[in-house]
Amino acid sequence: MSVTEDRARGVAEAIDRLECGRVGYVPSNTVAPIILRLEETDRARGGTRRVFPVSREEEAVGIIGALPLTGAFGAIVMQDNGFGNALTALTTFSLAYHLPLLVVANTRGGLGEYNSMIHAVSGGVPDLLAAVGIPTFRLDRRNSPDDWRETVYEAGRHARMTFRPVVVLMEFWDGVAGGRRA
Amino acid sequence: MRRIEALRVITSATADLPVVATCAATSRELAAVADRDNHLYLLDSMGLTSSVGTGLALGVADSAVEHVVVLDGDGSLLMNLNALATAGYLLPEALVLVILDNGSYASTAGLPTYSQTLDLGRIAEACGLRVARADDTAGLAAALTAAFAEPGPTVLHVRTEPGNAPDIPLLLVDPVVLADRFRRWLTARMAGRTDSPERWADEVGEVGQ
Repeated sequence: MSVTEDRARGVAEAIDRLECGRVGYVPSNTVAPIILRLEETDRARGGTRRVFPVSREEEAVGIIGALPLTGAFGAIVMQDNGFGNALTALTTFSLAYHLPLLVVANTRGGLGEYNSMIHAVSGGVPDLLAAVGIPTFRLDRRNSPDDWRETVYEAGRHARMTFRPVVVLMEFWDGVAGGRRA
Repeated sequence: MRRIEALRVITSATADLPVVATCAATSRELAAVADRDNHLYLLDSMGLTSSVGTGLALGVADSAVEHVVVLDGDGSLLMNLNALATAGYLLPEALVLVILDNGSYASTAGLPTYSQTLDLGRIAEACGLRVARADDTAGLAAALTAAFAEPGPTVLHVRTEPGNAPDIPLLLVDPVVLADRFRRWLTARMAGRTDSPERWADEVGEVGQ
């Protein structure tokens, strides 16, 4: 199993350990292994619809972000360029109503990104999230797969303890071993 | 039928159900008709109401709460028309989506919406959702009764007159307070509790702990 696969497995394991009642995702090649692992877990549990696609990121914030009002907790898996779509929902709903939410997002604005256009939004995402007060933790090639897993898990706990959305930005670029992108 | 007349019918039928309302004039008029713990007012979050309602409907599955009532407007829904497709895909049985369609952005100068020429009910049907229609208070009351009699999701496409009710006060409440009172009410109802909120306020645990 490659390091990239180990990271994806760790992220999925963390979401499972957090007992996320629902996981909404906006598709991406990079996060697909995380989604596939979560769906694999669901099939092993007898087939639930815990994991489902959502058409846009702000819609995911509305659906998954509402779960704490029912006593549950959820996670969104997406790409970081989607924060451009989701910013009003994250701020005026999740932040303003103090609703915990875990968002794990692969990055498209850093090393290894081939698409010159997408840097224009993704490169500014960390500053964007900081400007609106959304706690953000970052993972990249320097973190071990175990660290990826534990960081995502603790970020989910952090969201619950602080009653707000928390983001983990995941840069999957592997340096000399790289080569995959969405 | 004016929107506030529709809201009076809806509040009389939803005292025991969670209700989430779209922003601006709709939430303000709802609070003016009846300000209850089972109401969640979205003070901004433009276009997000139906998505929030879908999340709530998923969250109450397998609990004592059988329906979640969403009060969206034509303008708000058109800002996030994806919500109909997602509801049609996920089919949350508790969802009762009421589209209060006045053909205009009534909170923003009454500018026209697409619903003056597009039929939002037909769009919902195309997404695989069951749709009922009403354009007067008696029809709305009957449609709500029918919607609550069986599993959903159900969409009620309700035509109302343009304009807002006069002299409705602003909703100057901290969203944290709105969310907390709604959550306490809802989680208690999900557990089958129907007694006074004061009695269970200290018993309901914090989120996901």
